[in-house]
Amino acid sequence: MNRILIANRGEVAVRIIRTCKKLGFESVAIYSEADKDAYFTRLADYAVCIGPAKAEKSYLNIAAIIATAKAFKVWAIHPGIGFLSESAVFQRACEAAGIVFIGPSAEAMETLGDKAKARTLMIKSGIPVPPGSDGEISDLTEAKKLAEKIGYPVIIKASHGGGGGGIRIVHDKKFFDSEFNLVKQEALASFGSASVYLERYLTGTRHIEVQILADAFGHVLHLGTRECSMQRKNQKLVEEAPAPNLPEKTRAQMEKTAVEIARVVGYQNAGTVEFLLTKENEFYFMEMNTRIQVEHPVTEAVFGLDLVKAQIQVAMGHAFALSQDDIKPFGHAVECRINAENPTENFKPCPGTLSEMQCPSGYGVRVDSGYVKGDKISPFYDSMILKVICFGANRTEALAASCAALDELTVEGVDINRDFAKAILTHPDFISGNINTKWIETTLCPALFSPEPEDMEKQYGAV
Amino acid sequence: MELFKPIPAAAGTNQEFSMPSILTCDDCGKQSLAALVHLNGSTCPFCGGLFRMPARARIAMLADADTFIETDETLTSTDPLKFPKYSEKLKKAKADSGLTDAIVTGTCAIEGYPAALAVMDSYFMMGSMGAVVGEKICDLAEIALAKRLPLIIVSASGGARMQEGMISLLQMTRTTMAVNKLGDAGLLYVSVLTHPTTGGVTASFAMQGDVILAEPKALIGFAGPRVITQTVNEELPDAFQKAEYLYQQGMIDGIVKRGELKAALAQILALHADNREASHDQ
Repeated sequence: MNRILIANRGEVAVRIIRTCKKLGFESVAIYSEADKDAYFTRLADYAVCIGPAKAEKSYLNIAAIIATAKAFKVWAIHPGIGFLSESAVFQRACEAAGIVFIGPSAEAMETLGDKAKARTLMIKSGIPVPPGSDGEISDLTEAKKLAEKIGYPVIIKASHGGGGGGIRIVHDKKFFDSEFNLVKQEALASFGSASVYLERYLTGTRHIEVQILADAFGHVLHLGTRECSMQRKNQKLVEEAPAPNLPEKTRAQMEKTAVEIARVVGYQNAGTVEFLLTKENEFYFMEMNTRIQVEHPVTEAVFGLDLVKAQIQVAMGHAFALSQDDIKPFGHAVECRINAENPTENFKPCPGTLSEMQCPSGYGVRVDSGYVKGDKISPFYDSMILKVICFGANRTEALAASCAALDELTVEGVDINRDFAKAILTHPDFISGNINTKWIETTLCPALFSPEPEDMEKQYGAV
Repeated sequence: MELFKPIPAAAGTNQEFSMPSILTCDDCGKQSLAALVHLNGSTCPFCGGLFRMPARARIAMLADADTFIETDETLTSTDPLKFPKYSEKLKKAKADSGLTDAIVTGTCAIEGYPAALAVMDSYFMMGSMGAVVGEKICDLAEIALAKRLPLIIVSASGGARMQEGMISLLQMTRTTMAVNKLGDAGLLYVSVLTHPTTGGVTASFAMQGDVILAEPKALIGFAGPRVITQTVNEELPDAFQKAEYLYQQGMIDGIVKRGELKAALAQILALHADNREASHDQ
């Protein structure tokens, strides 16, 4: 029980390797040709190139990862974020090879990965979900009737969708037929199943999530809320813990519901329950992510806990020593994701070499990155360079510290979204909490870059 | 703050560990974990270049599932000459490969056609032929004769095993005679040459097949190119001793890609099957 393979790359691989070192585990990094000499490969005790740049041949290649894990006689595999982290098939392959998968059971992943089935289960368990179908809905006439009943706009979603794919919002019933069929086709093509479900499209909602941690003995703890409404095209940009502007009663109810959901699916290890919160402070279950999140450090900051360590401990079979009442958050934490992209050019990714990189530091400032000066940002994978996490005794302090930290950041060689992140942090709407998940797209972007390039495309039909 | 109760450390949980072996591709020069190379038919994960294939993997590729019945699986060398360091080398080769010597023999079905199959393993002391390799080939030829089975030998060898001296050279005669008997009995012998097939193996049974096939780019020869260059003091052509060159010169009958070898063998077996008519009806 002394070696862990990290089936991931970049920032999250670095994050996991650091905790491995702290706990006395040897780390085995796998990487693709595109990540040769990447920081995480240098940090790990062992690093093996397992295939070409294309993720299907490397980071998604289950057979190659398992063979490598066996060759290195590892005790466990940490799947990280994205790639195979929510793959029940991968979890089963690990189990069959006698290797511990640091994460939940395959059954839990399957239940929650099928969004229509998850919805059915939540309805049965009395968990609030947005009005819509009981689960999968396949018949067009029936679906249209239901859309009529719950009221437009409605959202049609692929049951196995993810990453913002397989989703259509329908505002008018005359478009319903074509959109419904389109999502079904897209779902089959992209996710291998034509199963879709229907929900009322709630506007002006916030995205609030609850961190869950469950040990192998059926004990479930929550580690508070996170505010993640600052999104552009379903990609989060700024996250906070705990979620601000949340009535105490609602917060407590959300946390309780999240624990209940984890119990219903027999969850084990770290997970995140995502909720939609309406302007009237009513909340609905959206989905549960069966892995650690990019924004987990804000929770770590306010609870003083290492969540990756907790994941490993759950996998080792440790039981909780503390109960829910023993753990309380303190202060406030804000995370800004800094990507290699150009916001003024419609957030075009900007791969390249980091000719200069100096990160902020100091009390309450944490920078998690997969890169150091001189490294290359590959065009093959996501464009995130680093995350700046700032802690303060209260939200005002944490926001001010974040702005100051972003000012201290120096990155040269690629374009970054620092100014855009600062525009969020200093905006009166953001500070006062007058925000929702579409705020960046509908308010901030038009204000900063008017007219937005995309609008121009629509206006002039240019491509 | 410790969130979890500690677990008392279990004794002896640390597994013995040595760095897994790494192989370099001859075609693209890239290094890969041996486990990954052998995962996909012993080919390079990057360029598809061929690596030498372990005997067990080759058998799994050629024989129909669950049809291979191994013969002489416990035969192992006794180090008859007490050759210096030979017994240590044998011990390590056995531990690394999980084999008892450089060849695996047995009977199986290939696309339904019964056959006697021998596969050499170049990862075991470079597939060198000593008393065990010779004995196993002779035994298998006897079985083929008795059961009237076609014989297929997949070679991969550096030649005779020098640690067994004259005894290993003797195997050249023995194996040559053994496969000759099949010819006399009207039975088919197919020889498949893989990288590298050299020395005493080339000079005996490997070149005696009724049909001789080779894998692309396989080195096939008696003395290696370096030795010849030094002897004749001349630069050799690029493709010298490569399967393609031998094919051009009429020394072998065909070059078959690794992935197509089973189908090619099945076709040859079909053409030579005793009950050809019957198998057509099936």
